[in-house]
Amino acid sequence: MLAAPWVCRSCARSLRSVGSPRLLRRASTIAALPPALVERARKIAAEHDKLTTALETDFDQKTAVRAGEISRVATALREFEKASASLAELRSLLESNDTELRELARDDLESTQAQLADLGRKLSVALTPKHPFADMPCLLEIRPGPGGTEGRFFADSLFRMYRSYCENKGYPTRIVKYEVSESDGQKGSEGEVALQEAVLEVQQIGAYGEFRGESGMHRVQRVPATEKSGRTHTSAVAVWVLPSFPESPSTDAESEWDNPESDFYIDVAEVRVETMRARGAGGQHVNKTESAIRLTHMPTGTMVSMQDSRSQHTNRREAWRLLRSRMAQQKREAREELAQKLKSSVLASSQITRGDKIRTYNYQQDRCTEHRSGLDVHNLPNVLDGGEKLGEILESVQGWLTERDIQMILAEEQADAAPKGKKGK
Amino acid sequence: MPRLRPSLFWAARRDISPFAALLLQVCRDLPSTANELRWIREHIASTSSLVPSKLRLWKMCEKRAKGVPLQYVLGTQPFGGLEIKCRPGVLIPRHETEAYTTELAQILLRQTPTRLSILDLCTGTGCIALGLLSLLPPPVHVHGIDISPIAISLANTNLDHNTRLGLLAPQPSSIHFTQADIFSPSLLPSLTPHAWDLLISNPPYISRGAFARETARAVRNYEPRLALVPDRDDETAGLGCASEDVFYARLLQLAGVLTPRRAFFEAAGIEQAVRVINMVKGDARLSGLYPQVEIWRDNPHKEYEVQRFGDHEVPFRGSGGARAVYLCQSDQL
Ligand SMILES: C[S@@+](CC[C@H](N)C(=O)[O-])C[C@H]1O[C@@H](n2cnc3c(N)ncnc32)[C@H](O)[C@@H]1O
Repeated sequence: MLAAPWVCRSCARSLRSVGSPRLLRRASTIAALPPALVERARKIAAEHDKLTTALETDFDQKTAVRAGEISRVATALREFEKASASLAELRSLLESNDTELRELARDDLESTQAQLADLGRKLSVALTPKHPFADMPCLLEIRPGPGGTEGRFFADSLFRMYRSYCENKGYPTRIVKYEVSESDGQKGSEGEVALQEAVLEVQQIGAYGEFRGESGMHRVQRVPATEKSGRTHTSAVAVWVLPSFPESPSTDAESEWDNPESDFYIDVAEVRVETMRARGAGGQHVNKTESAIRLTHMPTGTMVSMQDSRSQHTNRREAWRLLRSRMAQQKREAREELAQKLKSSVLASSQITRGDKIRTYNYQQDRCTEHRSGLDVHNLPNVLDGGEKLGEILESVQGWLTERDIQMILAEEQADAAPKGKKGK
Repeated sequence: MPRLRPSLFWAARRDISPFAALLLQVCRDLPSTANELRWIREHIASTSSLVPSKLRLWKMCEKRAKGVPLQYVLGTQPFGGLEIKCRPGVLIPRHETEAYTTELAQILLRQTPTRLSILDLCTGTGCIALGLLSLLPPPVHVHGIDISPIAISLANTNLDHNTRLGLLAPQPSSIHFTQADIFSPSLLPSLTPHAWDLLISNPPYISRGAFARETARAVRNYEPRLALVPDRDDETAGLGCASEDVFYARLLQLAGVLTPRRAFFEAAGIEQAVRVINMVKGDARLSGLYPQVEIWRDNPHKEYEVQRFGDHEVPFRGSGGARAVYLCQSDQL
């Protein structure tokens, strides 16, 4: 008789035939939910118990806040342990002499395992720190890499992809900026125009958390519509995901803007504002319809220009919003980089820097490869239409981000556990 | 004007739409063609009409293609947070005017007695007067004057329109527009008793030669000459200045009597701005009244640069071309 397998053979076969390495990966991740992580969760849960007992006799604001913060870890751990216990029980039942009991256990095994995997994932998420911008709406900035029109066409494809994805998911969006360059009448094979720069706002709470993994270089491999010899070209498009304040100038946002501690704070005196004009006479002599605004944050050289609206006022407001979002993202990235430098080098390999390619869209092979999670998806048209295949990719990136965060925590645990003896603190 | 490449027209047709090929004749490049077409579409979508929208679109593009300014085609121009209605016969507000009006409001906000009084001469659509009103805390007293009855009626329409849109708080008592010729001797008596904080004007300032040579065709063919070119030969002879500077000579005369705390005049460029400053420096009374003199550039931000002209040094504010002269009494800028 076969030993009780981790994943029953028929399941393994079906997984393979679906060809979803993502599920296999996930299953294996959970199978090896690192003991150090469970240990950490137990510590936090113990703290939570202590705090709640303390609160029963003596209410204290600070204690209550902390207890609230860690309660999701405590809850997730409880459920995870319950599921582990049932799994252990089922396993022991498999050894039973009673055939009927064995059958029943076998029936339940699969669903319990899936449940455990799911709870393990929830526990990991509960343990990893939430990104400070996670709950915000976001701005998706899309810009072609250096090179010819092919990259610009693909930039438009990505723009359309994200917009229809949001449409499919019911997320409200707004085109903040959509700047087309002269393409001399050419169009991409799918009717795309040559995009110079676009900014799409996803006005959905939590959009930053959902899309932040999209930041990086997206690579396309295809035969351009204009290429007569049928040669495949490779070009790249940069996508940057920025946190965005909700549009309404709520007191919340405004106070954030005036608060020097906030990531969104900019010293107005450090920004140069220009209304760009063509050379030559201005004033009453000409009557321009466009009113472009350019903002330059002088200390960092960050530059934003906006000319989509007829209104100088609107262009100015949008430019400021975009500049604040970019600066907030930059400050955050700088802090993250610093934090990672302080940690052990385990993470070096999983760091993504601005120039790394994160995904490849290969038209000839009808394939989209997500390089970080290792996910390969076929049915490229569905991806580019913002369909559920893109959803799968985004989800796999979320999994990758969580895994990275877990490694970060583990590294921290290791550092804590290491014998003290080094200089300093 | 250089001829456009035919390939560009094909590009406009294929990339954007057949309407774009029409607009391209006046917009000259694809990005601004795409922008204007989008704005016309947005305008049609946001206003109702019995005429089918496709037909409206065609008519508007055709009109624009003839060279009619977009603001006359659509009937509006944004100015600060306001929507200013535009009609043939009245000058369309310019971006430069909007930029300095916004900046000036910031200065007034920072250092101001409570109830501000502002006099806007040659008010046109009323954009400066209304723009300042919208940016300053009430109560503000604003008086706009223009020689043209069409302008005065349009300025009043703009007051109502923006109040109705909720872009201006309702405060009818504190702003009014009247028709008058600023050269008329009867003007002063009607204004004298007030203590003005700001006298502002964007007067006609283009010389006859420059009008023929340097103005854009849409301006020359469709905007009122009365708003652009000073044709006041009698007064010019009396005031002893270049014919294109005659409004400044008169405005300074008025400033000398009304003694507003600040005076602000738009000008054509560096030469004219310097001539205005020389008029101030050459007059003992005015130079005593306004020791602080600045030239503002098209982008009036905080940076300064000092340049020497003859005997005096003049601070230039901001970047871009010289656009206005700013005079201020001793203790405040
Ligand atoms: C350059 S436009 C300025 C309009 C408006 N202030 C703006 O900035 O858009 C000049 C205005 O001066 C008016 N104007 C011309 N001669 C005038 C005079 N003698 N007295 C008063 N207004 C005059 C014209 O009717 C025109 O509306």
